[in-house]
Amino acid sequence: MALNLSYREKTLYASLAVELAVYGPYFIFHRQNSVAKVAGMIIAIIILQIILQSLIAALTRNRVTDERDRLIELRGYRAGYLTLASLMVIGLGMLWIHVVVGNHAMDGRMIGLHFLSVFFGMLVISDIAKTATQIVSYRRAL
Amino acid sequence: MPAIRNQVRELRAARDMTQQELADRVGVTRQTVIAIEQDKYSPSLETAFKVALELGVPIEQCFQYDPRGKR
Repeated sequence: MALNLSYREKTLYASLAVELAVYGPYFIFHRQNSVAKVAGMIIAIIILQIILQSLIAALTRNRVTDERDRLIELRGYRAGYLTLASLMVIGLGMLWIHVVVGNHAMDGRMIGLHFLSVFFGMLVISDIAKTATQIVSYRRAL
Repeated sequence: MPAIRNQVRELRAARDMTQQELADRVGVTRQTVIAIEQDKYSPSLETAFKVALELGVPIEQCFQYDPRGKR
């Protein structure tokens, strides 16, 4: 199977693996959110991505990308955008229900942390949706 | 049945050309050649012309449009 993967496809698998390895434990096990944790994760993602992408680039002789790669990339971004837009509506609705309908007054810090958690989660899910859509498109040959 | 069908596999095999060789000549990945041959991907007009050129046939001999096919 590995022999049939194009350069772009390999980089997508690496991206997905890094995202799941870093974000997965964070969203499953974390109790209290903080800006420092989110910043740490982003730095970890960047470092791991640089290492893996460099390795893939070094080990792949043929790094050609073509029109089909660009089309699949666009499909991924469309899926990611639709996911993000849908989650934004749901997230804002949840916040509104929590604060207005639920009569749970939130102070500024709580709202800030809520936004940090929810919107960061939305970005992560959208990014994973984008990468997964691209991988599926490659596997289905488009 | 896809709207655009092709004879790339047969024409390439007749010329004893590998998928990688055709891909290199056309400037696409081998995976794209595979997708074209399996009728899973319809290439752009430019790529279709390049494929026909490399196979040494007119484009209509290489790619055919079927109006009753699925897009």
